[in-house]
Amino acid sequence: MAATRRLQKELNDIRQSGLKSFRDIQVDESNILTWQGLIVPDNPPYNKGAFRIEINFPAEYPFKPPKISFKTKIYHPNIDEKGQVCLPIISAENWKPATKTDQVIQALVALVNDPEPEHPLRAELAEEFLKDRKKFTKNAEEFTKKYSEKRPTD
Amino acid sequence: MNSKNETDEASRGNEASSSENFTPNISEEQPTSSLCSGTAVNHTQDIMKRTAARQLIERYFYQLLDGCGKPNCDNQYCASSGEARNLSPNEAAAEAIKLFYKEARLCDTLPSKVPRTEASASNSDAGTMCATSEPTKEKSDIKKQEQLATSSSTSHKESTSKEVEPQASHNVSQNKTKTDSHSNGAPLTEERIYELCDICLQSKKREPLIRALGEAFTQPAILSRCFATKLSEGNGNEGEKKTERDSKKISMSSDPDKDVDSITGPGLDVASCRRAFQYLAKVPSEYYSSALVLALKTLADYMELDLRITKRMSIEEVVNCFLIAFEVPDLGCSDYLEIALPALCRAAEHLPLKAQAKLARLWAQHCKDSLRHILETLQQLITLRVISTNYTRQFQVQDDENVTMATKLMKIVYYANMLAGDMESNTLREEPIVIPNQQDPLENVLDHLYPPTSMKSSKNSQPDDPLAIELNINVLDARKPCLPFEEFYNELLSDTIEMDIDFGNYKTEISKGRKFAFLKYPFILTPATKSLGLYYENRIRMYSERRVSLLHAVVGASPPMPFLRLKVRRTHIIDDALVELEMVSMERALDLKKQLVVEFEGEQGVDEGGVSKEFFQLIVEEIFNPDYGMFTQQADSQTVWFNPTSFETDAQFTLIGIVLGLAIYNNIILAVNFPMVVYRKLMGKKGSFEDLADWNPALHSGLKDMLEYTGSDLEEVYYQTFRICYQDVFGNNIFHDLKEDGDNIFVTQENKKEFVDLYADFLLNSSVETQFRAFRRGFLMVTDESPLAALFRPEEVETLVCGSKNFDFNELEKSTEYDGYTADSQTIKDFWSIVHSLDLDDKRKLLQFTTGSDRVPVGGLSHLKLVIARHGPDCDRLPTAHTCFNVLLLPEYDTREKLRDRLMKAISYSKGFGML
Repeated sequence: MAATRRLQKELNDIRQSGLKSFRDIQVDESNILTWQGLIVPDNPPYNKGAFRIEINFPAEYPFKPPKISFKTKIYHPNIDEKGQVCLPIISAENWKPATKTDQVIQALVALVNDPEPEHPLRAELAEEFLKDRKKFTKNAEEFTKKYSEKRPTD
Repeated sequence: MNSKNETDEASRGNEASSSENFTPNISEEQPTSSLCSGTAVNHTQDIMKRTAARQLIERYFYQLLDGCGKPNCDNQYCASSGEARNLSPNEAAAEAIKLFYKEARLCDTLPSKVPRTEASASNSDAGTMCATSEPTKEKSDIKKQEQLATSSSTSHKESTSKEVEPQASHNVSQNKTKTDSHSNGAPLTEERIYELCDICLQSKKREPLIRALGEAFTQPAILSRCFATKLSEGNGNEGEKKTERDSKKISMSSDPDKDVDSITGPGLDVASCRRAFQYLAKVPSEYYSSALVLALKTLADYMELDLRITKRMSIEEVVNCFLIAFEVPDLGCSDYLEIALPALCRAAEHLPLKAQAKLARLWAQHCKDSLRHILETLQQLITLRVISTNYTRQFQVQDDENVTMATKLMKIVYYANMLAGDMESNTLREEPIVIPNQQDPLENVLDHLYPPTSMKSSKNSQPDDPLAIELNINVLDARKPCLPFEEFYNELLSDTIEMDIDFGNYKTEISKGRKFAFLKYPFILTPATKSLGLYYENRIRMYSERRVSLLHAVVGASPPMPFLRLKVRRTHIIDDALVELEMVSMERALDLKKQLVVEFEGEQGVDEGGVSKEFFQLIVEEIFNPDYGMFTQQADSQTVWFNPTSFETDAQFTLIGIVLGLAIYNNIILAVNFPMVVYRKLMGKKGSFEDLADWNPALHSGLKDMLEYTGSDLEEVYYQTFRICYQDVFGNNIFHDLKEDGDNIFVTQENKKEFVDLYADFLLNSSVETQFRAFRRGFLMVTDESPLAALFRPEEVETLVCGSKNFDFNELEKSTEYDGYTADSQTIKDFWSIVHSLDLDDKRKLLQFTTGSDRVPVGGLSHLKLVIARHGPDCDRLPTAHTCFNVLLLPEYDTREKLRDRLMKAISYSKGFGML
C-alpha cells in the first residue's frame, strides 16, 4: 500500500490531530482510496446529529480531486437527495493537488454549518431557506432527528 | 480612385528624389491625374504580366525622345540617328506603342542617363500625357529601374556592365541631385524617421520624408543597414574589420562570421524599426504611402535580380531587407497589395534555402507580433487575386504567379509561425512501422507492357519539404503555434482550386519538379479541399488495382476480386467482419486498397457507398462499446482509449486499425471519439504531457499545478513518489513504478518535470504500447502509401475520420436540393420547421437515417448534398432514404402533423436496409 504514501500520511495526520467535527474514520485496509467518517456539525439545525460521508480518492490522487458523498440523508440546500455535494474546493476546475484532505473536510463542515443558498443543488430548499427560515429550520431539524446518526460521545 | 492618384503622386514623389527641378504643384494636377489614371489602374491588374511589354514600350519611348546616345546611330526610330523627327513626349508615347506592336528595332544602348528633360516634361505635360497614360505613369518607374539596371528581361550588355558598380553610380547621381545635405545614402535610423515625420507633420512638407524613404527603400544595400543595432563596446574589433570592408562595400554593422550574431539578427534592430514605423503611421499615409509602394517595388525588383543573377548581396543583407520591408505597416492602399507585395513575393521566391530558413527564424524570433500582419496581407493578396481573376481550364489558379508566389512566401511565414510558438522536442517519435511492399507479381508485368501514366501514384513516399528539413521542424512538434493553423486556410482559394488539376500537378511534380501544386502547400487549403485531393489519390489507386485484376482475368489466372468484398451477417457483424478482414490482411493485404463493397446477408441493398457506411457505423458502435473490452471510456473527456489490460489479441487491434484506415480510404465518416493524441500517435508522434490535456483534463491540470508549484516544500506537500496508481476497467487499483525502486524516490522540485514526463509517457505510450502498435500497423496497412501524413495535420485527420462537430441544420437547409418539390412547397417548409425543432439526438437520428451516418462531413453539413425527393402524393407510407446518395424520399403528406409523425417513426426505427 505504499504507493499511496500521501494518503497514508494524510490519514495518519488526521487521526492524530483528532478533528472535532470529523470522527469515526474508517478505511478499508485493502483499499485506502475510500474513506468513511462522521461529520459532526456545530450549527443548528444540524447540531443534533451526525452525518456519514464517504470520500473517494481517484487512483491518480492527488493529481485528481477526491469525491465526497453523504451516506446519511440531510436536509440541506447544497446537498442533493443522492448525497452528492458541490464543494468548490474539490471541483475539477479549482482543485489544487497541494490541498490536504483535512482542508477539504473543514470546507465541507463549514458548508454544512452555513448553507450557501446562492449556489444550491436543491433549489426548492434554497428558496425555503431564504424566504421562510423558520419553516426550513423546522423541516431540517425533523429530518435530522429522523435520519441522522448518533453523535459520538467522547 | 484614391489609390490611383497616389500612384501618380508617388511617381512624382520619386522623381523628386532624383531631379532638382521638381515643382510641387500636385494639388493642381490631381483632378487630371486621377481621371487619366483610370486606364492605368485597369492595367495594374495584370501589371505583372505586362511588365516586360511596358518596359519595352518605355525603351522605345526614350529612344524616340532622347536617342541611344551613339553619335552615328543608324536606327531610324532612334533620336540619335537624326532620322526620327522631333516628337513631343505625347507623340512619342503614342509612337512607342506603335513601335512595340511592330517590334521595331531597338538600339542596344539605352540612353546613358535618364533624360534630364523627363522630369520637367512629365510635370508640364502631365495633363496631356494622360491621354496615353501608360508611359507617363511608368516613366519614373523605369527611370529607377534603369538606374538600378533592374530591367532583368531586357537587360543588355551595357546595362549589366553598369550594374557592377551600382552603388558608386548611385552616389554620384545622388550627390549631384541632392541639394539637401542630410541623406547621402546614409541608412535610416529610428531617430531620423522621427525627425522626418516631425518635419512632415509641422511644415506639411512631405518631400524630405518621401525622399528619404524612397532612397532607403529603393536600394537594398542601404536598406539592409537601416535601423542597425547600436554597437556595444563588446564588439571592439568591429571597427577594424569594418574598415577592411568599408573599402569594398559596407555590408552590415555586425559581424556575420559570429554565429550568435547571425542567428539573432545581424545588426538589425527590429524593435527600433517597428517603433520608427509606428511613428511614421502618425503622418497621414497619403503623404508617403504611394512613394513607399513604388520604392518597395523597385527594391523587390532589384533584389529579385540580385538573387537570380548577380548574387552579390549577402544572405544577411537580403534577409534584413525582407524583414524591414515586411515591417512596413498597413499602407491602406490597394497599390501595396497590387504592386509592392507581389514584387516582394516574387523576389522572395528566389531566396536560397538558407536565406529562407534564416528569414523564418528571424521572423519567429523578433517579429512574433508582425506575423499576423504579414499573414493577413498575404491572404488579402491571394484573395484579391482570386476574386478578381476569372480562372479557366487554360489559365488555372496554379498558373497565376501572384497567387503561387504569395503561397510560397506564406510557407516561410507558416514555418516561422511554428517556430514562434511552442515546439516540442523532435525525439518523441513512434517507432516506424514498415509495411512490407506488397506487389502483385502480375502488376509488374502490366507496368512493363503498359507503363502506367504519370498519374499513377509513385510507390515512394513524398519527399519532405526541404525548408522543413533545413529548419529541422515538423508540424507534429508544433504544439502551440503562434497563430492558429486555421488562419492559414484560404477558403476562397480552396473553393476555387480545381482539385483534379492540382492533384495532377502534385503527382507530376514529384518527378519533374515543374508545375505548381497547392497540395505541396497544404497549410493554405481547407481540410475539405485536401480531402478531395486524398479522394483522387485513393480512387486512382483503387482503379489501378482494378486494372491488375482485369489482366488476371485475361491471362486466365484465377481472377482476384476487383473489389474488397465483405459479406457479413447483421447478427454477427463483428465476428464476420473481423474474420474476413483477417483473412484478407494475411493472405492478400493488397486487397485492402481496393474499393470496399459490403453486403449484408439476406438484404437487397446494393453497395454504392450507403451499405458500407452503415457497416462501419455498426462495427464502430460495437467495437467501441466498453463492454466489448477492447476500449475503455474515459469518463471526464468522453473519449475512448485502448484498454491496457485487454484480453483481445494484437490481431484484433490491427483489424480496428484497418477499419479506421478503410474508413478514410473509402471516404466514410466514423462515430469514434478518440482523443487527439491517438491521431498524433498515428501520424508518428508519441504522446507527451501536453496530450493529457484532452486525454484526461483533470489529471493534466493537477500535474500542471504541481509543475507550477514553486515552494521548496514540494516533497512534503505532495508526498509523491515515482510509483503511480491507476485503475483497470474492473476498478482494481494497479501500481506501477515509473522508475526502478520508484516507491522510494520522492518527487522534488528538481525531478518533478521528469516525473510528469514519465507519467505521461507511461499512460499514453508504454501502457498501451502493444495495443497501439497493432492498431497503428493496421491503419498503415491501408494508408501507408497515401499522402495522408503529408497533407493533413493530426487535427485534420480527426475531422477526416469523425467529421466536424457542429450540427448546423440551417446550413443543411440552404444546401439541400429538391426533386419534385421546391424550397417553397408547403411540405418542405413544414419539414424544415419540424427538423429545426428537433432536439440534437433526433437530429442525429435524422442524419443517420438519410445519410447512414450521424456524423457531419468535413466542411460542415452544407457539404452533405442532401436531396429531398417527392415520393408520391399523400399516403400512409413512411419516408425512405437512399443513404448512398443522401436522398430522402418524402411523400407529400397532407398535414404537418402527419409529416411529423411519419418522419419521427422513420428515424426512430431506422436500422436495417430494405423495402417497407
